Amino acid sequence: MADMVDMVDMVEMKAVKTASRGIAIAPAYIYREIDLTPDNYPVAEGAALQEEAQFQEVKQAVLAELEQLSQDNPIFAAHMAIADDYTLQEGVIGRIKSGKKNVQQAIFETVEEVAEIFGQMEDEYMRERKADVLDIGKRLLIKCKKISVQDLAAISEPVIIVARDLFPSDTVKMNPEFVKGIITEEGGVTSHVSIMAKNYGIPALTGVSGILSKLEDGNTICMDAGSGDIVIAPKQGVLEGYQKRLQADLKEQEEIKKYRSMEAVTPAGKRISLCINVGNTEEIKLALDKNIDGVGLFRTEFLYMENTHFPTEEEQFAVYKEAASLCPKEVTIRTLDIGGDKSLPYYEFEPEENPFLGWRAIRISLDMPDLFRTQLRAILRASAFGHIRIMFPMMISVEELQKAKEMVEKCKEELRQEGIAFDDGVETGMMMETPASVLLAEEFAKEADFFSIGTNDLTQYILAVDRGNKKIASRYDSFHPAVIKAVASIIEAGHKHNRKVGMCGELAGDVHAVPKLLALGLDEFSMSAGNVDYVRKAIIG
Amino acid sequence: MVSEKIVIKNESGLHARPAGILAQAAMKCNSDVWIMLGEKKVQVKSILNLMAAGIKCGTEIELQCEGESEAEDLQTLKDLIESGLGE
Repeated sequence: MADMVDMVDMVEMKAVKTASRGIAIAPAYIYREIDLTPDNYPVAEGAALQEEAQFQEVKQAVLAELEQLSQDNPIFAAHMAIADDYTLQEGVIGRIKSGKKNVQQAIFETVEEVAEIFGQMEDEYMRERKADVLDIGKRLLIKCKKISVQDLAAISEPVIIVARDLFPSDTVKMNPEFVKGIITEEGGVTSHVSIMAKNYGIPALTGVSGILSKLEDGNTICMDAGSGDIVIAPKQGVLEGYQKRLQADLKEQEEIKKYRSMEAVTPAGKRISLCINVGNTEEIKLALDKNIDGVGLFRTEFLYMENTHFPTEEEQFAVYKEAASLCPKEVTIRTLDIGGDKSLPYYEFEPEENPFLGWRAIRISLDMPDLFRTQLRAILRASAFGHIRIMFPMMISVEELQKAKEMVEKCKEELRQEGIAFDDGVETGMMMETPASVLLAEEFAKEADFFSIGTNDLTQYILAVDRGNKKIASRYDSFHPAVIKAVASIIEAGHKHNRKVGMCGELAGDVHAVPKLLALGLDEFSMSAGNVDYVRKAIIG
Repeated sequence: MVSEKIVIKNESGLHARPAGILAQAAMKCNSDVWIMLGEKKVQVKSILNLMAAGIKCGTEIELQCEGESEAEDLQTLKDLIESGLGE
């Protein structure tokens, strides 16, 4: 730490929301986004040759770059063949010659077109090649636009990454060993970056607006994500204070790992099911060494959001099947939960005045039966490969649940006719996250095989507090007596009908909530993988 | 134009590596080279087109060459495909 020199005055900031707890001290690494939108300068009469020449030039540069990379990883040899491809070349040159496009537009359009062909192929291996094509397009455009790129994969010293926002394509490259902390100006506690940070146990704060204007690359940052404190360029005394807190925190983490091999049994002798929330199969793999009892929430929306089209039955089946095989104990798959704050790049939602009270989740599924059917068939087919449970989000009436279950039965019948295997005893349950579901919990308990309390939405709906609104963020409180009362009545109603009641909202991963939730009789706690060790310790007591 | 029917033996079909080898060999040919897959005409000099054709193991393809060195080119590429394209 001795070589961290700060020529600026100490700045203190406070973040309202913790994305992933923990303490970090490291120099700032500012991640600037790159804009790959093609410049739209016109090509003058007779200047097409220059554009062509530029294409050849950037292509050679990209080939040289890939050749270098291919020495360590053979995948880049295949990338070289694609970059040097005849079709790609013809497409670009053709667009420059006859389409009067500039080289950037020509590359952009050609790459999009080729990527789309791959994206629509049936074979999963081939579909994945789409990413290769897009990656090559990105390399070509970066060279055309003469952008210098930061490579998160190249980080080899401890840093705290500071960015406007981070995307899956960015975070996938990060080496968690060197990324000590993450601070973003945008994004909320439920955004991709927070989920990722929690999984890796990286301290993270999101929604810290204005931080990028307050620091420079290399400035020392101290952050305590638990309390939301950020100090830029700390004075010696402050730095020492953080170093002590960091040591204590690391020691606690070591301590907590000792509980990992133990079963989650309460002092009263009740065996609690300890599960994780995930958005993809990668996160399951990362959590397999945490002695978990299953996946309490598999969010399927990322499958839809990180895509160029509605995922096909085959595409979804492959993912659910992998999840079921990875985690044979239990995988609870929640059907599509889009709308609200989650939109799709390839489907236009009508703008709504109140998206959280709008057309979202099960409402979309029930209104678009083909979409729903595709997903249910994929889930059912995967159920033959493990222990899958189906969970419906945003229920407000028993009729909706009955309709959804009818659709499941219809899909089962289809599969039976087609001779395709599935688990006939697959359980169908629901998220408890609307005030209506709380008030009707008894009625729902007769129809649903299990309940899972989604405290994020439940809190926002019960308290009428928008969880994304910074101005009222302090009023968003899952410990509010009204929310606790709702949780209590859900558990009571569920138990009355012998239903297992779980929780998959943020509250389930909060150690401070454990004693209360145990007292209320919660059967299953499902949370981000990063919280599992802490909650296990809190349950064992 | 000369042509010949060949059955693809590569276990995973013409995926990236074998498709790359075939495309590169075709690039060296002076003649125009296509694979006919039923009605579909696939440009062999392009790895992208070859991969996008999704040619699987056991598929019978018709390899066509047209140009001055067509007979020679057809033989070269046929031998290469039958040798398993480096696999």
